[in-house]
Amino acid sequence: MKLRTCALLLAISVFSSVVPAQQKEQGTIISEVQMYVSPDLNSQKLARATRGRDVPLVMERTKIGEQTWAHVLIIVDVNRDAETTRQITGWVPSNVVISTATPNGDQIIFGEAVDSENQAEQRGGRKGAAQDAMRLYYRVYDYWPNSPLAGEGLWRAADIRWQLEKADVRLRPSSREMNPDLRTPIDDENMKLVMKKFPHTKFADLAAYNMIDNKLCGSWKGETKCPEKESELYEKYAREHPQSPKVAEALFNAAWRQAALVQMYGAQHEKERDKSRNKAMALAQEVAAKSATGDPKLIDWKPRATELMYALQQGIPTYTPEPDRK
Amino acid sequence: MVRHWKKIELLLLFALATAALFAAEAEHATLIREEALSISAGANAQKTAQVSRGSALTILERSQAEGQPWVKISMAADQQAQISREVTGWLPGKAVVTAATASGDEIIFGQAVDSERQAEERGGRKGAADDAWRLYSRVPELFPGSPLAAEAMWRAADIRWQLSKTDFVRSGKPMEEKYLREVIAKYPQSRQAELAAYDLLEGQLCQEWRGLAECPIKESALYEQYAHEHPQSPKVAEALYNAAWRQAALTDIYRINNDRSKSDAARQNGIALARQIQSQQQDQDWKMRATDLIYKLEKKIPVYGVDVVDSGETK
Repeated sequence: MKLRTCALLLAISVFSSVVPAQQKEQGTIISEVQMYVSPDLNSQKLARATRGRDVPLVMERTKIGEQTWAHVLIIVDVNRDAETTRQITGWVPSNVVISTATPNGDQIIFGEAVDSENQAEQRGGRKGAAQDAMRLYYRVYDYWPNSPLAGEGLWRAADIRWQLEKADVRLRPSSREMNPDLRTPIDDENMKLVMKKFPHTKFADLAAYNMIDNKLCGSWKGETKCPEKESELYEKYAREHPQSPKVAEALFNAAWRQAALVQMYGAQHEKERDKSRNKAMALAQEVAAKSATGDPKLIDWKPRATELMYALQQGIPTYTPEPDRK
Repeated sequence: MVRHWKKIELLLLFALATAALFAAEAEHATLIREEALSISAGANAQKTAQVSRGSALTILERSQAEGQPWVKISMAADQQAQISREVTGWLPGKAVVTAATASGDEIIFGQAVDSERQAEERGGRKGAADDAWRLYSRVPELFPGSPLAAEAMWRAADIRWQLSKTDFVRSGKPMEEKYLREVIAKYPQSRQAELAAYDLLEGQLCQEWRGLAECPIKESALYEQYAHEHPQSPKVAEALYNAAWRQAALTDIYRINNDRSKSDAARQNGIALARQIQSQQQDQDWKMRATDLIYKLEKKIPVYGVDVVDSGETK
């Protein structure tokens, strides 16, 4: 029995290496599905495969009665924390396998990813939906690299991973360290991949914006060097990515940090305080000037900048020491 | 006797005219930071209450103390109640925004956006959602001609709707439709009115389907009707998708009940609705979701009431 399994695995690995990547039927699954040892509902169950799992090889399809089955090699998690995986083979209903041979396969997977992302955002949504969405989006890029959805798919996959890790990092005690080098950074491998594969795109701009998170202080502890450095980082981003959808937000964040510095310097450091006030006003004016008014999603930045300028002019505090950070 | 009545009438008229004049001239305002209400102007005066962001204020008097402007205000002690006792006191003038404040609409709207973001953040300021709707509400009140007025009124109504939904789930307290209806009445045919009408559909949805066909039939019809009545709404694609998804669910419900002809009819309806999204809508996400749903319907993959697909086929 063991020998037969070994022989099967060997055959698969040989087959996988011989068949060129572009000829292999590869893909993913769009519904959580039970895997069976053979194409029979009464056969032994192997595992549950969740949405977006990598199916590096569809070996065969067969019709038994009215049901079509697919014999697939699938990669499942062994230990999610340790990020160890294993490959298993088994039979699944064919209709849930979306492969490179499926017409509009990229669109179907992307649609399922949007659906999962939506589930993840809902209170009481499906458990693991965020991870499903992340895997599904990645598959669009992975198996349809020339699809018009590939860039968006890779970016969304990277962003979901980033947000999940960010939430995780925030729970650790080191997240409050002032020096960002003293805490575990969020893994930026996928963000770098977005920038490498889709340079000079909206996605590369968005990835670069996310990566600023790793350079922010965990806590300012009342010291001016953090908001000074962070303001510089955001302003630099805005200058280097003038077409980014995040320009107004970056400039606002830079302005808001300068406004915080006005309070932190106070009357004792009048020169620095005035310099920060002037800088904050200049940056906020730039936000107001650059904010698009037509797009309902971007309508917010101009009023926020106006409110910040008003607060600076009237001497209204904008910064309350931790945890009220923006 | 007649003369006596005439005198009373005259006095009454005079009182009404004075009240109307006062109402017309009263300066209304709001607050963009939480402040303490003092019994007199000055930082060291005794504090009587905290005044929240976005509170509706009427300015009674202005003064200077310690080189800072102060305003005497009156306000309802309970800002949400229909009838409330009035409180008066002094507030620092710098955080008070009136209809006369330059760019006051943007300043209030900006603080409302900030509060809304705080409310969405984990560990954000307590009461920030209430601050946000109050602030948004003040924009159309103080600046009815502002280009931000419709958006602000809609956002205030939407936040209140979302909060009342949470209350409804927790305590069964009926959801208050009044504020959304006011948006529709005040800004008919606007984007904001379309969004308000979409929110109102939620009040007509079943709490639970219990595996019966009645609810998805009714809900699918509601969403389809919305899409046809509001063709310019930003929610058209979502409404059509919701209608299509309910038809897909009906496909499964009828299949479980062994009603094959109704199941097939629901499948065809679902596909037709999803195709409308593909052909008529621009939004990429909804188009892709429609493509995914059409695939599932064509391949008979169940969408309703299944955690794990066992057989993968609905026959």
